[in-house]
Amino acid sequence: MPGPTAPSSADPGQPAGPAARRLVAEVLRATTDLGPLIGLRVATLRGRSRSAAWLGLVALVLLTSAAVLGPTLLPDRPAVRDDLLPVLPVLYLASLGITVVVSMTSSGSRELLPREQAVAFPVSATTDHLGALLLAPLNLTWLLQAWAVLAATSYAVGARSTLAAALLPVLAWLVAATALAQVLAWGVEWLRRGAHGLLLLGTGTLLLTAAAAVTLLTTDPVAPLLDSGPARWVAEGVVAGAEGRWGPWSLVLSGLLVLTAVGLVLGGWTAGRVARRPARDERGADSAERPARPLPASDLAALLRTDRAGIYRSVPMRRGVAVLALLPAAVALLAGFGWHMLGIFPGLVASGAALLFGVNAWCLDGRGTVWRESLPVAPRTALAARGLVLAELILAASAVTLLVASTRAGIPTLSQLVAVLCAAVVVTVQVVTTSLRWSLRRPYAVDLRNPRATAAPPLVMVGYSSWLAVSTTTTGLLFNLVSGAPWWWSPLLAVFFLSWSGLRLGRVAAAWDDAGTRARVVGSVAV
Amino acid sequence: MDVAGLLVRFGTVQAVRGVDLRVHAGASVALLGRNGAGKSTTMRVVAGVVPPTEGRVLVGGEDARTRALAVKRVTGYCPDVGGLVPRATPWEHLQLSARLRRMPPGWEARATELLERFELTGVTHRVTAGFSHGMGRRMSVLLAAFHRPRVLLLDEPFDGVDPLGVEATLEVVADARARGAAVLVSTHLRELAVEACGRAVVLRDGAAVGDVDAHDLGGEAGAGAYRALLG
Repeated sequence: MPGPTAPSSADPGQPAGPAARRLVAEVLRATTDLGPLIGLRVATLRGRSRSAAWLGLVALVLLTSAAVLGPTLLPDRPAVRDDLLPVLPVLYLASLGITVVVSMTSSGSRELLPREQAVAFPVSATTDHLGALLLAPLNLTWLLQAWAVLAATSYAVGARSTLAAALLPVLAWLVAATALAQVLAWGVEWLRRGAHGLLLLGTGTLLLTAAAAVTLLTTDPVAPLLDSGPARWVAEGVVAGAEGRWGPWSLVLSGLLVLTAVGLVLGGWTAGRVARRPARDERGADSAERPARPLPASDLAALLRTDRAGIYRSVPMRRGVAVLALLPAAVALLAGFGWHMLGIFPGLVASGAALLFGVNAWCLDGRGTVWRESLPVAPRTALAARGLVLAELILAASAVTLLVASTRAGIPTLSQLVAVLCAAVVVTVQVVTTSLRWSLRRPYAVDLRNPRATAAPPLVMVGYSSWLAVSTTTTGLLFNLVSGAPWWWSPLLAVFFLSWSGLRLGRVAAAWDDAGTRARVVGSVAV
Repeated sequence: MDVAGLLVRFGTVQAVRGVDLRVHAGASVALLGRNGAGKSTTMRVVAGVVPPTEGRVLVGGEDARTRALAVKRVTGYCPDVGGLVPRATPWEHLQLSARLRRMPPGWEARATELLERFELTGVTHRVTAGFSHGMGRRMSVLLAAFHRPRVLLLDEPFDGVDPLGVEATLEVVADARARGAAVLVSTHLRELAVEACGRAVVLRDGAAVGDVDAHDLGGEAGAGAYRALLG
């Protein structure tokens, strides 16, 4: 069971007293506890990891600034802006939906202190909840939706002195949405851990999906969403801020602050309930029987089998893979992107797969890494196996995304089809190469059995996420561009990218051949 | 196994500084010492997992610095921590080992016999993530001994293991010696070291400070001698 190791005063069974006073005391204590925990996390970052974390923070600030200021520098097209304004509430609602999915897929979001380290400290459920909220933005999906929402709002408002005021309700909405999503995520986790939890959740998800599909097919999906309350309210706050109408603007901001406060309190309370329920499916996976299969035909096949077991037998990994394939697919389906835009999706999927485990690929075996390193097998075979499992995961998830997206994208031209396929192959090789390079340079001991664990410390993950998002999106956009040219342009571009990645992969393999490098990696991940 | 002037550095930290060790075929030697004395690092070097910074390390006639892969072929190694892939079953560990070590057909009988000896038959096809610490230790010893290596390396094999598991481990050591393997056992449990091994090398702060007959470290008198060596 991840997270809290000490009771929260918001939990039942705590000493009696005025509820409000206990609640305030608990929130104060939890907030105070965050300081030392953050300090410990930062202190554990040393050398290259510290540089990566700093780079991550700088990248975060730069990209957020670019998302806010970049659109104001674009040519002013009133018609486009007028079209965009009514769609803003839909974007805000989509942002809430994505935030909910992000929180739910990590069993209640990330931990400030990994559970195996937290057992020695009295960390309450409220502290755990606040830590999870702090770490929520350090996630590629969360960041992408936040940047998209900020950029769209910024363009719709345009370059004017009240831009900052107009964006403030959006920022407040992102915070409130994250707090509310966290409450929902804890609730779902509580349900999942209960009797028949998986069945209930599975049925619920199916019903919701079916309802969404029926709505999509039978009605104009945009109209009802536009009329929905909170998102439209935020859009009104944006317009009020842009026009300098401070009365309605303050009202919207205050409302969002109240929503955030409610989310914080409810989240802490729900986190306490979750902490008291054991995770059934993870326990089941830990004691699952796996029938024997025939002896693999080659060393590579044997290593691939072991590596695949590490991914597909892990509950958190399976959940991550499913989200990886279906979330971009859902976005593509809802947005109705054409083939000329699909080239960016393989990059998003590849980045997500790398962030699941690829950026710290040797942690997949946990402490078993030492035993595996003592086996007589050529180092390059082990490296090839690890790279191949990552590549097949990316390609499989990309295939699902593209298949689903293609149902609304129409019939592609030959150039478009070749461009999308080339983009998928190129970003896969790019991301695998980058992941293996990072795995060698900055290995971390991570217990991937913990559904709330990340492959690297959260701050480092920001750096990784930003780099992957920028590099794969750029590659995808390049292929989107050439999809309008004759079909053979894409393979030519792909050969250029693949040659570059091949050179870098060669350097990674040479580094992995060095026994000292392997010993450092093994010693780091198998602590 | 012939180790001379072994030195291992990790950055600025000197984990091992000047260890000499020789284990003949059919002999078993205990590596004793306090936490951080350099026992596990020495074991990892001999297993071909960590390269020596300086010194000579010959294992089964192979140089651990230049022929680490050959060293891995002649050794069977039970690491000090974990040692098991969390999502693989014991049988899958054995399959991987059999495949990579090119074991001839019929290895299944040996695997089954060891699983029975270590009382792991009931969990043969269960993923090891749910294993207790003791079960994991027993499985690691089993994997080290599975292919009848010429050099058996057991790092803390008795740690957290129940008496029946200890007995099975002692049997594995005795079997290995009987068929002419060299055995190196690293442990902080002095009495078990005395029971399993003929000689004992005591490490302190990364250096060998004593090389004695294991029986000299037994009983109350041995405890005093051991404490003196630990400083």
